[in-house]
Amino acid sequence: MKALKWLLGPYMLAVVVAAFLWPQPAKGFIGESSRIVFFHVPCAWTATLAFIVAAVASIIHLAKRDVGSDEAAAAAVRLGFLFSILATVTGSIFADVMWGSFWNWDPRETSIVLLLFLYAAYLFLRGAIADPERRGVFCAAYALFSGFVMPFLMFVVPRVTASLHPQTVINREGKILMDMPTKVVFFTALAGFTALFFWMWDLDRRLERMKRTVQGLERLE
Amino acid sequence: MSALGFVAASNAVIWVGIWIYLLRLDSRLSASEKAAAGTRSD
Repeated sequence: MKALKWLLGPYMLAVVVAAFLWPQPAKGFIGESSRIVFFHVPCAWTATLAFIVAAVASIIHLAKRDVGSDEAAAAAVRLGFLFSILATVTGSIFADVMWGSFWNWDPRETSIVLLLFLYAAYLFLRGAIADPERRGVFCAAYALFSGFVMPFLMFVVPRVTASLHPQTVINREGKILMDMPTKVVFFTALAGFTALFFWMWDLDRRLERMKRTVQGLERLE
Repeated sequence: MSALGFVAASNAVIWVGIWIYLLRLDSRLSASEKAAAGTRSD
């Protein structure tokens, strides 16, 4: 595991270098703006993955009522929220280059804002309930509900109305519309971001566990 | 340096910074976990 963490550094550095040097800019995009696909889509994918992980951890928490699964869900939501913000920011940079404005209320932009609100509410809910048992159950139920809403916001809503957003990855043809170098760098970046998420998720859970241990020791003294 | 080169270099620097931060956090956390385990067994 430790070796993988050490390898992730040079791996992602290679992804960054390849993203800017290897594939040619895609046709139909202004300048080099298409290169953002190597960062924007992995951020959106990582956010989706994080919210799925949160929903699964919440199901486990509702079944077992253990502290670990509650903390796992909370850590996944925190990271999903972070990666959603990164996806929104990178998307806005692309929007400014391609469409002349950072924000256009495009269906995809609107749906990610709703997603951010949905998971921000989870974090508010978590902060509002002091009793750990009640907090765990309420938050797990809410994360599960959000887990059902999230696919509609990420995959369905942006496609039922006309959108400016490129349909490179998910489209009606069911094909990834990229040339081979772009595809290689894209999937390498996806794998790297996925590994980064699981590492950060592990760190967040361990930090929470450590906080609990310290609080327990302080109560003993 | 071209604009693309600047963005690429900034990306690389940001990534290396995040990676070093995570590695340090991981090792500090491991050390604290070991210390906490020692305290519990005392």
